[in-house]
Order: sequence, then structure tokens, then C-alpha cells
Amino acid sequence: MRNRLMDLLATFAMLLTFSAVTFAQTYGTKGYSPGAWKPEDLPKDLSKPKPYNPHDFVGVWSSPTKAGYFERHALNDKWLDIKDKSIPDQMRSQTYPPPMTDWAKGKFEATKPSYGPRSVAPGLGNDTVSTCDPMGYPRDLYEANLRPFEIVQASDRLLIHMQYHDIWRTVWTDGRGLPKNPDPAWMGYSIGKWEGDTFVITSTGYDDRTWLDHFGNPHSDQMVLVERWRHPDADTLTLDETITDPKAYTAPWVGETVTFVRAKAAIFEELCVPSEEEHFNDKIRDAAVGTAKP
Amino acid sequence: MRLKSLARLGLIAGFVLAAIPLFAHHGTGVAYDIEKTVNLQGSVTEWIWANPHCGILFDVSDDKGNVEHWGAELGNPHALSMAGLSKDILKPGDKITISGHPAKSGAPRIELQEFTTADGRTLPERGHKGNGAKLTDEPGQ
Repeated sequence: MRNRLMDLLATFAMLLTFSAVTFAQTYGTKGYSPGAWKPEDLPKDLSKPKPYNPHDFVGVWSSPTKAGYFERHALNDKWLDIKDKSIPDQMRSQTYPPPMTDWAKGKFEATKPSYGPRSVAPGLGNDTVSTCDPMGYPRDLYEANLRPFEIVQASDRLLIHMQYHDIWRTVWTDGRGLPKNPDPAWMGYSIGKWEGDTFVITSTGYDDRTWLDHFGNPHSDQMVLVERWRHPDADTLTLDETITDPKAYTAPWVGETVTFVRAKAAIFEELCVPSEEEHFNDKIRDAAVGTAKP
Repeated sequence: MRLKSLARLGLIAGFVLAAIPLFAHHGTGVAYDIEKTVNLQGSVTEWIWANPHCGILFDVSDDKGNVEHWGAELGNPHALSMAGLSKDILKPGDKITISGHPAKSGAPRIELQEFTTADGRTLPERGHKGNGAKLTDEPGQ
């Protein structure tokens, strides 16, 4: 029994040592870009912390990367309690939207996502992420699980730069109101203002072709999204979202708080390239389900 | 006793490493049977280093000279760069040993687990999250 315990302790000590060494060698250096600048190529003072200011969101942010952290992909997604080990991770979470209108139900039922209990293989689905179409907002934000985003603050606007698709989202802070009857936009139209230490963004004018999340939850062009961003400490941003969309949902959809942490990676080019993805789909993804182009 | 302990160590480490999802991305677990693994030896015909997904096309020959065209699905170059891969890591004609989860449809496609190059490198290096961070990182990294 004692030997068994010693074996276990030795195992975890070895794994922790290995992890710490590889971590120090490869990551944890601000500005590091895989495939480009290595940590040793960077100025040594890049990692110096700047003074904390709750109104200064400037920096690169991502979801926490701790092992076991549940990667949020929607307003209130959660793990499902599934014992069957043959069910893949992609099908083990679910969202809980308010009741949908008949219009939204029809839209939802037409979606064929590759996440959640209704998952189909991507080669048989209709998630436009497979064709590099814009994901829209807020869905694009949830890519922060895989790719960081950067916030830049100017005197008249706040910019959120998404690494994936190289999207720049503009939040106007110059006092303008929301546009009246705007043309639909993938990322909507956004205005922001401070309420104490909370930065409140209100957005509208969304193109209703996008999904809210990778589960296929719909929205209409009447959606109003209110985001409440906070910066409680130097390394943390939190976000609370509320969607009001009477054409799609019979009540506001209040999301659960999402946490982002200061990332030490840099933003760099990561476009979704339609021609490259089409080639990949033909050769691999669609071929895996027998639907590839001849 | 030492051998027994080492075997136990290896087994536990194997379970820990196997439990770490390796770049699980858009629907891979739905299209592939995650409970099965196939091991193959082949010759690379195309190395797809592309955004947002990479792939390996390779030919597998049997004893009678019959050739089957296989393909392996990989994640995005961003994450793979962190795990030791690059656009130059493979080229047509390279011999590889490769393992992965087979397509549920029976098509000759796999979700890559790992491959070993002719010079003995086994890739991808394990334990990375999609954003390049180590899975063991503390919050804030």
C-alpha cells in the first residue's frame, strides 16, 4: 500500500516537473507568437506589469487555461451529466435559453450543429464556421477559448480585435446613440459608456444569419445585446450579457458571468481562409462522412 | 519491484496523457469513433498546412501492393505550431507511422492522435490547449 502511494506521488511529481519545465520553455512570455517570435527573440521588459486601473482594458485576453476549466461557448452552457464514455466532449454540454417563439423554433430546428446533444458530423452539418463565414457577435467572442482577443482603447471608441478571422469590433464611446433602422451587420453596431467601474456596451443591428453559439441557438435582426464588462483586478475581465430579442425569445436571455484572464500570447494572423478550408473539407472532413466533392 | 513500479508509472502517465484532449475541435468526436484507434504506416502524399485546419494525406500499401488513400484530420496551425509542427515538418514521399480515431462511416480517414516521422520524432507534443497554452498553466497565463 505504502509503495503504491509512493508510486503515485512520484508520478505526479514527475508530471508537475515536466509541465513546469516545458511551460517555462515555451509559454508564459508576453508577446510570444507561435510560428513567429520565440520568447528569446523578445525584449526582456515586455512582461513588466503596468499599474492597475479598472477603466484600462488594454491588453490581450483569453479564457483561463487551467486544466479542467469548462470552456464557455454560449450565454449559459453547462456540462451534461453523461456516463457513456463513447459520447465525445463536443456533445457533453448544453445551453438553456428562454422559451423560443415559433419563428425561432423553426430556425433552431433547421440548424445542424456539431456541438451539443443534436450534434452531427461537420461534413453533414450546416454550421457556417465550416465555410469560414463570419460567426458574428457574441459567438466570435467565445473563440477566446482557443484564440485570444485584444482590446484597444482610443479617445472616441473601444476596439475589440478578435484573433480568429482578424475581426475588429468597434464600440463607439463618443456619445452617439444607436443607429435607427441600420443595415444588418455581422458584428452589429455598438455604443459604450461607463457606469462607475462597469463598461456597458449596447449593440443592435445584427445580421440574423449568424448563430448565437455553436449549439445553433438563433437570434433575429431585432436582437439587442447588453454587455457589462468589469476589470476587478489587473489580470481579470468579467462579462455579463443579456439578450433581449422578442422576435426570437419570449423573455430576456440573461447569461452567466464569463471570465477572461490576461493572456501572455500576442494576437497574430489567424484568418479562416475559405479556399484552404474548402480543400480541407474535400480531402478530410467531408471525405470522412462520404460527402466530399469527387 | 523497480520494473513493476516503472510499469505502474508508465500506465498512470499514459492515462493522464490520454485524458488530455488534443486539439479537439469542431465536431471531431462526432465524426470519429473516439473509443477506437487505428495504427498505420504510410507514405505522405500531401501535407495540408492550412487555416483553420491541417491534414495529412498518405498512402498505405498492403503486402500485395494494393494502395489505399488515407487522410488524417488535424487542428489549426496556431495550436500545432505550439506542439512542434510546422509547414516544413512533412513533405510528399515521407514515411510515417500514424495513429488516430477512425471515421465512424468506415471511410479511410482518422482524427490524428500522433505520428512518428522517419527520423523518430513523435508529434504533436502533448498537453497543449488550442490557444497554445499548456493545459497545466495556472489561470492568467
